[in-house]
Amino acid sequence: MELHKLLVQQLAKTSKAGVVDHEAFLDLVNSAYEDHDRDRRRADRGSRLMAEELEAAGAELQVQNLRFQAALDNMPLGLCLFDKNGKLIVTNRRFLELYGLDPDYDGAGKSLSQVLDESASLRGGTELERRLQILEHAALSKTAAGQIEQAWPNGRSVNIARNPVKDGGFLDMVSDITETRQATAQIAHMANFDALTDLPNRRLFRERLAEAVRFSERGERSAVLCLDLDRFKAVNDTLGHPVGDAVLIEVTKRLVENLRPTDTAARLGGDEFAIIVRRVKRVSETHALARRLIEHLSAPYLVCGHQVLIGASIGIEFIKNADLSTDDLLRNADLALYRAKAEGKGRFCVFREEFHASLDRRRQLELELRAALHNDEFEVYYQPQIDIKSGGICGFEALVRWNSPTRGQVAPAEFIGLSEEIGLIDDLGAWVLRRACLDMVRIPDAVSVAVNLSPVQFKSEHLVETVRSALKDSGLAPHRLELEVTEGVMISDTRRAQSMLESLKKLGVSIVLDDFGTGYSSLSYIRHFPFNKVKIDQSFVRDLDKANDGLAIIRAVVAMCAGMGIVSIAEGVETWEHFEVLKAEQCDRAQGYLYSKPIPFKDARAFFESRNQARRA
Amino acid sequence: MWAKNLRLSETGKPASEASSPEQTPDLIFVFGETDVFAQGDVLTGLKAAFPASIVLGCSTGTVIDGTELSDEGFRAVALGFDHTTLRTAFCEVAHRSCFAVGQSLGRQLLGPDLKTVILISDGLQVNGSELVAGLVDVVGAGVSVSGGLAGDGARFEKTYVAHEGKAISGGVTAVGFYGGALRVAHGSAGGWDEFGPQRLITRSDGNVLYELDGKPALDLYERYLGEEAADLPASALVYPLKIFDPARPQDEMVRTVLSIDREVGSMTFAGDVPVNWPARLMRGEFEHLIDGATTAASHALAELQSENPSLSPSVCLLVSCVGRRLLMGQRTSDEVEAVARVMKGEPIQIGFYSYGEIAPQNGSKACDLHNQTVTVTLLAEVA
Repeated sequence: MELHKLLVQQLAKTSKAGVVDHEAFLDLVNSAYEDHDRDRRRADRGSRLMAEELEAAGAELQVQNLRFQAALDNMPLGLCLFDKNGKLIVTNRRFLELYGLDPDYDGAGKSLSQVLDESASLRGGTELERRLQILEHAALSKTAAGQIEQAWPNGRSVNIARNPVKDGGFLDMVSDITETRQATAQIAHMANFDALTDLPNRRLFRERLAEAVRFSERGERSAVLCLDLDRFKAVNDTLGHPVGDAVLIEVTKRLVENLRPTDTAARLGGDEFAIIVRRVKRVSETHALARRLIEHLSAPYLVCGHQVLIGASIGIEFIKNADLSTDDLLRNADLALYRAKAEGKGRFCVFREEFHASLDRRRQLELELRAALHNDEFEVYYQPQIDIKSGGICGFEALVRWNSPTRGQVAPAEFIGLSEEIGLIDDLGAWVLRRACLDMVRIPDAVSVAVNLSPVQFKSEHLVETVRSALKDSGLAPHRLELEVTEGVMISDTRRAQSMLESLKKLGVSIVLDDFGTGYSSLSYIRHFPFNKVKIDQSFVRDLDKANDGLAIIRAVVAMCAGMGIVSIAEGVETWEHFEVLKAEQCDRAQGYLYSKPIPFKDARAFFESRNQARRA
Repeated sequence: MWAKNLRLSETGKPASEASSPEQTPDLIFVFGETDVFAQGDVLTGLKAAFPASIVLGCSTGTVIDGTELSDEGFRAVALGFDHTTLRTAFCEVAHRSCFAVGQSLGRQLLGPDLKTVILISDGLQVNGSELVAGLVDVVGAGVSVSGGLAGDGARFEKTYVAHEGKAISGGVTAVGFYGGALRVAHGSAGGWDEFGPQRLITRSDGNVLYELDGKPALDLYERYLGEEAADLPASALVYPLKIFDPARPQDEMVRTVLSIDREVGSMTFAGDVPVNWPARLMRGEFEHLIDGATTAASHALAELQSENPSLSPSVCLLVSCVGRRLLMGQRTSDEVEAVARVMKGEPIQIGFYSYGEIAPQNGSKACDLHNQTVTVTLLAEVA
């Protein structure tokens, strides 16, 4: 029998000359058993505690896993993690949603391509597109960061960002960028298209125009048309902007209907449109198109229960070569448009070189005129009106002057028309009215002041309010204010004109019919409109020197006024002969160089004081 | 060179004429049971008998005498060198930093041809890592350092080193070996098995460990020790701690407990336990520990014979950890037998069970403090 090594040692240690010291031997054996037991107890305990620790660690890991999963599932990004063999380890809820996978989809161990192959979101297009998108994603580097964007057949746009992870796997983060992309597209659209009509805007129009210019180098002829709607401002003013907008949309429809797909119609702003006509073979084609457009756009519009009548004017410039820039071309077409409007609207005009010179002058004047109101360059002059019977001053006519720093003093004839065209007349008219009222309260006697109203001003819906506030702010008694209108204001819309005059009269002011005898001179106006005074045009007074026609007319008008209780006044009275005739015909009042030319307020007041004091004296 | 067991009486005098060496020894290794060693007669006797010899030794719980272990008395070996000169150094720890103590020893020993240093230190009042680092800081990495920390068995009460014929507590002694004829080789191995989860040192200060994974380290040890927790700190030796620098995970170190402080819940180890280093408990399986001893011896012998395969070591200094002794009980002698088997019984074998072993890492010159290992230092001289 072979003894255990330890036992042999124990025997050796406790033997002497072949005799075993039993007590010592048993002691050693006993202690060896104890050593063994102790070691076994330690091993047992160690194993048990280690198992407990591992179990606790496992439980802690499970809790952590749950937390991680909760965090992952609540991420706005889709996430999938693959191990170094390309096998799926984990995905989150968002990933499954994005890819149209079942909420309890278990893809663990699958490859990326396998997972993508099961995605519902990638279906709906062609099989080839689907394969290509899977390939594109799967081809991302597994060792370097990278990202791609995909537009899926379900309409979503996604960004896929790949990042390698330490252990050799990779992590893909998928974000839904559909809204961002849509917003970007929307912004791009807004940058290029008009919000109301969805026509190209000025920016895009310029691009298309530049393209047409480039093609002109290859021999293609194109035309650029500038188009303005006639009387459109009145639509906005009278019916309001919603109706105006609806009209513009209808205009757009009619425009597009008359163009070929290769042509471009754009809205440059307000009621300004522009068109590029490509591949023009004959000039006459473009003329015909312009005529057709004007005809279609001038047909009545039925918008929001209103029948609207507007017209259109067109300027045309042909693009024959690349010598002119897009700016030049647009300007030329615009000049032609201006000419078409100047020639009476509702027509087209082809650009000619000489348009430049005339327009440049006008533009310059326009610029200065706009600045003038701002720079306080206008001044009101006053021309006295005399009571023929008493010889005293009974009123003044207010006449605007422009003290231009570059042009000197400019007469109204040179700038009133333009002010009307460029929309400055409302502001200018209001300013004159206000100034005249403020000045006149400084002349104590009950003399009146007459202020001219432009026909354009007369059509403005703000007029009554403008007059009311001028009176209120200046404190001038309303009966001292006379508003002079011409026959023109009554022609286009008689009924409206009548109601406007009545509204003004209600303020307590007087209405004067100006320039009587020059226009239609319909006596029926005098009968139907509540005029307080009629002003006989100066041409008749001047004619007194030459023929008897003037006298006959003056006599008739004065007599008619007298019969209707209307005050008559003659202007342009320059000589004592004129005065004697008017006095003989019993005309009520006179105004002209015989007494005074229009003079600044300071002089007018001095003139009034000296003359009335002299009379009293 | 020569080596001879010294048979001494309890007073340190040679037991008989026959046991007295023919030549005056240059160096005497002496290791004794703490009480006997502290009593001092042995050292006084040696000093009287061999006034010219350097005596290097310390207290221990168990003395290694050839293939035998003894928990009583003392053992000594006399060594004589033909071509090698020796110089001794001593330093008291007092209130100095262990790094400074190591530096002081280094300065005492530094000299041309310094080949190796054998260092024997107090076992309870030093941070062995710091001590070795301080010494290496002065003598340079080219000089190998081996030896160990004195022991006190399972008591952990007081340790002593020999100095000037006296047993001194709180001192460190060292011997420097000079000359080109000396051949020295080292081997070190543990053989412990890791077990349980890997933990992280979350709070420590030098060699004082407070927390693992944010929880008191002492609690962990008490749980694992169960009723044996009453025998702390000695019982903690059955569960050494493996630690490593996360930047150099291949250089694993084993730390053993020197003392505990239940008040603050701390454990003091024989070497540093840096924060953020991973740590894992270890346990000893007898056969694996004995295999560890074989590995250490084989490594040392292969290193010694790397130039000349027929070179035999004259002496084998064995320093093994008290933890192994406590764990293996009567089976402990198996590991010293395993070393002797590798050495084929040729060199004189002497040593002690320590509170910390000092040797270069196997395969490198980087000397450090080890715990729970067997370290083997072989000395030989060539002509």
